[in-house]
Amino acid sequence: MFFHIVLERNMQLHPRYFGRNLRDNLVSKLMKDVEGTCSGRHGFVVAVTGIENIGKGLIRDGTGFVTFPVKYQCVVFRPFKGEILEAVVTMVNKMGFFAEAGPVQIFVSNHLIPDDMEFQSGDMPNYTTSDGSVKIQKDSEVRLKIIGTRVDATEIFCIGTIKDDFLGVINDPTTV
Amino acid sequence: MIEPYNKLVKLAARAFYDDLTSKGDNQPKTGRSDNRGIAVVVLDALTRRQWVREEDLAKDLKLHTKQLRRTLRFFEEEKIITRDHRRETAKGAKIYSAAVAATADATTGKEGEEKVKLHTHSYCCLDYAQIYDVVRYRLHRMKHKLKDELENKNTIQQYICPNCGKRYTAFDAPRLLSRNGEDFDCESCDGKLDVESDKLAAQEGGDGDGDENARRRRREKLKDMLQKMEVQLKPLIDQLGRVKDLPVPEFGSLQAWEARASAAGRAANGDNAGDSKSHLGYNGAPMPYSGDTKVVVDFNGTEGKGEGVKSETDSTSLKVLPPWMITSGMNLTKEQRGEVKQETKMDGTSTSTAAQYTDEKKSTIGHDDKNIQDEYIKAYYAALLKKQHELEEAAKNPQDANAADDPSSSTSIRKVGDKYKREEDDDGTEWEEAPARADAPAEDDEDDIDWEEG
Repeated sequence: MFFHIVLERNMQLHPRYFGRNLRDNLVSKLMKDVEGTCSGRHGFVVAVTGIENIGKGLIRDGTGFVTFPVKYQCVVFRPFKGEILEAVVTMVNKMGFFAEAGPVQIFVSNHLIPDDMEFQSGDMPNYTTSDGSVKIQKDSEVRLKIIGTRVDATEIFCIGTIKDDFLGVINDPTTV
Repeated sequence: MIEPYNKLVKLAARAFYDDLTSKGDNQPKTGRSDNRGIAVVVLDALTRRQWVREEDLAKDLKLHTKQLRRTLRFFEEEKIITRDHRRETAKGAKIYSAAVAATADATTGKEGEEKVKLHTHSYCCLDYAQIYDVVRYRLHRMKHKLKDELENKNTIQQYICPNCGKRYTAFDAPRLLSRNGEDFDCESCDGKLDVESDKLAAQEGGDGDGDENARRRRREKLKDMLQKMEVQLKPLIDQLGRVKDLPVPEFGSLQAWEARASAAGRAANGDNAGDSKSHLGYNGAPMPYSGDTKVVVDFNGTEGKGEGVKSETDSTSLKVLPPWMITSGMNLTKEQRGEVKQETKMDGTSTSTAAQYTDEKKSTIGHDDKNIQDEYIKAYYAALLKKQHELEEAAKNPQDANAADDPSSSTSIRKVGDKYKREEDDDGTEWEEAPARADAPAEDDEDDIDWEEG
């Protein structure tokens, strides 16, 4: 799920950036540092939308670096257990398949794939129903439900299922 | 206080361990030599003992020591018993025997050689606190597993390495991906991981009806299992509820228990020593002796108030208020004053008032009464009750609220026999205090106890 929240970070700036463009330099450094990262607590930071407040800078002893506490607004993405997402399949093997929903990777193991879908190995391994009507392979889009998340300090990984109603392949890449 | 816990242990043993055999894995199991269920016997035996040496237990149960040890080891891993292994000489073992003799009726005769060989003796004891927790956890896990399986969708797959036995879950999947991307490799030994199927409802292969029916059948099977489990485990769950608020019986470590038991036993029985045993004594260790009086009897002897009465007789009716709670002016029913006792299970004894008082003190002591005392007390109180009824009919005055603490009347009541005589004296007097006197016997019982325990 996406959230729009306010986060705070202490940015260290080298004196060469001081001057007229101090604030702009600070903001661009923040964006470069933070966008695309993941914290276990808030999830993946997708984009910084605005700066709320920049505090007074503190000169560090011994070096000339200055630390600014910056409050900024950003869009974050955090998956939750029970959430339903669309994802794109990236790898298929006989233990299940891996899919990605934006920055987060989800694994669907084969016992959470409906029983009528069989694994077929080959140069394009896939899961197919017995009558061949539904196929899951690389780059297919699937709707899945998250049944568990594993949250490390800087990483989030999920387990999903497509065994429930209304889950499964949305879009077959071969027909596109 | 230990009885509910013992019952819990017995129920749990029969529920969960009744198919445990003490034979090793590579021994032939014939029909004749199959001893499944021996675990139940062992646990039952342990409920009747406190700390016990394993060799003694084996002898009592007529089991091979090795088989008993295997069973005990299993229970130790289940955290149901605690074990202690000590290197002792034969003399040290005697101290233990003396301690056992103090608490149980065992007559152990370990007159042995006086060699100073150090053997390792193993002792074991039930660990009640842990048993309570272990049983609850087990039930919780069972229910959880069935419920998860019932929902059928949200189980996280587990993987196991066939070479080194290391376990993984689906959460580790990206780490485990092998180089060819085809399967999962174990991190330590690089073996191909196997899927661990933890489905309780077995997959029915080849169902032509399609998986709808199969799924429904599996759900039915699981629901059935869940229901059967609840029904069959109900007595155990009830016992858990009963035991929940009771204090846990605690025996302490082996040393502490030994010291306590032999000291208590010695105190209760004076020093009629088992002579031969005491001669081989340690310096400074408590003298072993053999006696068959138990610690518990001692308390009964000094109080002399009929321990045999079950202390829970009156929990259903109004509570009897002890005299220190009865202040003047309280509007109490007769029952609350502890006067009318009709419904006791013990045949008209009015010892429930006494029982109320001695409840906390005595309930830990078991049922080891001297029967003669019991009989006497029962007869005495039956007579007393009859006398009370006669008095109450005779007394026409309304109940005096100030009937309670009448210290003057209690001073002369010391000996059990005297009360009876006093009753006859007071028959004719029709004072305001007559009801008080009429009430007195019952109250005086309480006062009496008060005095003695004060």
